[in-house]
Amino acid sequence: MIWKLQKKTLLPLQIFGYGITLFIGITISLITLTAYTDISPILYSESDVFNDKSVIVSKKISIIKTLDKERIYFTNEELKEIENKDFVKEVSKFNKATNYKIFLSSDMFGFGSDLFFESVPDKFLDVDSEKWEWEEGSDFVPIMMPEDYLQLYNLGFAESQGLPLLSKKTVSLASFNIRLTGVNKSKKFKSSIVGFSSKINSILVPEDFLKWANKEFGNYEESKASRILVEFSNPNDESIIEFFEKNNYEVNQDKLEKNKLIFFFKLSFLFVFLISIIIVILSIGFVILSVNLIFQKNKDILINLYNIGFSLKQITFFYKLIISMVTAISILLSLISSLWIRNLYSAKLISYFDIEVSNSVLFISSISLLIVLLILLNFMIVKRIKNILVS
Amino acid sequence: MSELEVSGSDIYLQKNIFFEKGKKYLFKANSGHGKSSILNFIYGSNSNFDGNIIFNGASFDSLIENRRTKLSYVFQDFKLFSELTLWENIKIKNNLTNHKTNKEIKVLIERLGLSHKNEQLVKTLSLGQKQRVSIIRSFCQPFDFLLLDEPFSHLDENNIKILTNIIDEELKLQEAGFIMTTLNNEYFFQYDKILNL
Repeated sequence: MIWKLQKKTLLPLQIFGYGITLFIGITISLITLTAYTDISPILYSESDVFNDKSVIVSKKISIIKTLDKERIYFTNEELKEIENKDFVKEVSKFNKATNYKIFLSSDMFGFGSDLFFESVPDKFLDVDSEKWEWEEGSDFVPIMMPEDYLQLYNLGFAESQGLPLLSKKTVSLASFNIRLTGVNKSKKFKSSIVGFSSKINSILVPEDFLKWANKEFGNYEESKASRILVEFSNPNDESIIEFFEKNNYEVNQDKLEKNKLIFFFKLSFLFVFLISIIIVILSIGFVILSVNLIFQKNKDILINLYNIGFSLKQITFFYKLIISMVTAISILLSLISSLWIRNLYSAKLISYFDIEVSNSVLFISSISLLIVLLILLNFMIVKRIKNILVS
Repeated sequence: MSELEVSGSDIYLQKNIFFEKGKKYLFKANSGHGKSSILNFIYGSNSNFDGNIIFNGASFDSLIENRRTKLSYVFQDFKLFSELTLWENIKIKNNLTNHKTNKEIKVLIERLGLSHKNEQLVKTLSLGQKQRVSIIRSFCQPFDFLLLDEPFSHLDENNIKILTNIIDEELKLQEAGFIMTTLNNEYFFQYDKILNL
């Protein structure tokens, strides 16, 4: 009977409006949230051997610099300045093979060529440390090639000369001979390619090997740094781009592009997410106002109920139930819609990228939101009715 | 109320005043002298007073418990729900207490000549009819005291006589008493005490 009475006090359109706006707000925020968690690992992930938190930095080459070669090198002060930046964890130089001849040949492919070697500290490379190892006395030297070289061979050379195409795997199975020739000294090594990088345009060997070879075959002198490796503590810091631009330093472009992309990606998600949160907050504000209106309009009924012996709990129960049900249904519908929308894109994502899609973020966030809203709204209803009854 | 009026009161400014279960009390006073206020103080719906109201040696247990088992109130403004029918207005209370059977309620409605109005919305009833409905509703709970705030103000003598009988029967059944307020009419009850406010 009390329900029949209280049902007449409701403003169904307003409550329905609350349900709709809450549904829209929560659906958008859930979709943004899950899309963000789904897409960000793809943006952040790398398949390159070159580790993700570092970039190669060089000075931009201008006409003046082509005349004065010294200007392409980093001075010690400049290196210090970079090193002292907050977002920089470590700065390393490239090591070069100096003053001796390197000749690489392959019996399998029947070719030979003069080469150069460089090395970077091992920690900049994401390569199996067992494969990337050289000890003094060992006559096997692993090397790493720019991915462009392989593409140049496959798409240019092999095609025009009628040679077979090579995959990364076949190339890594092939063995090469390396001959190092210094003053009065020469030594042969076996070698194979253990990895490719699209970021380092250089032929790399393990640092231990190059140090040893420089000592053994070259007349070692401290090499000047024309390009350096910079490891970031936070590679997505927006001030990185700004700093390099300002100092006229060149960073591998794709890294920069990626940072820009991530920046705009984050910004747009944040924007949409904020708007959806505003919609949710407005819908809650709206239902609080409209419930308040219901209570004020039907003050006499509420007071009468209290006067004839109904408890606060009994009087508030109906309103708590209705508002909780509308809230729960809205959130449930939001959850279902965002799951559905997510299914639409996740099938494609999975086929393009090797990622795992789990729905736990969706469930956890909607359940916690539901709990918070129910507590907030129920508390509000009890407080308002109590105020009316004891006034 | 003026100070002179208050000093002549049987209740206001008295050290204490007792109401015993099973007895009938009448408060007589002109309009605006606080008749309803006294009943509201006792019922717990107004706490703007100095002093204590004590039930069986203890102060209020729970307000709601008191309103369901100890005190039943026939309000001067009825406090009926105009959106509900006559029958629903009585049932909403009885559902809370399960004190009377549907048959008992129907007999009461019949005796007060309202059977044909059972399904009618209360807002369409006359004041006298509403007054009768609110008295029937007040019987739908156990009580020690029935508080009657000018309960017959809109009724004719015939109806008042019927109601006097019905109230007497209910009081006997529940071994309860009442506190009634009136302007100056004493109606047909035998009072244990008449107090002037």
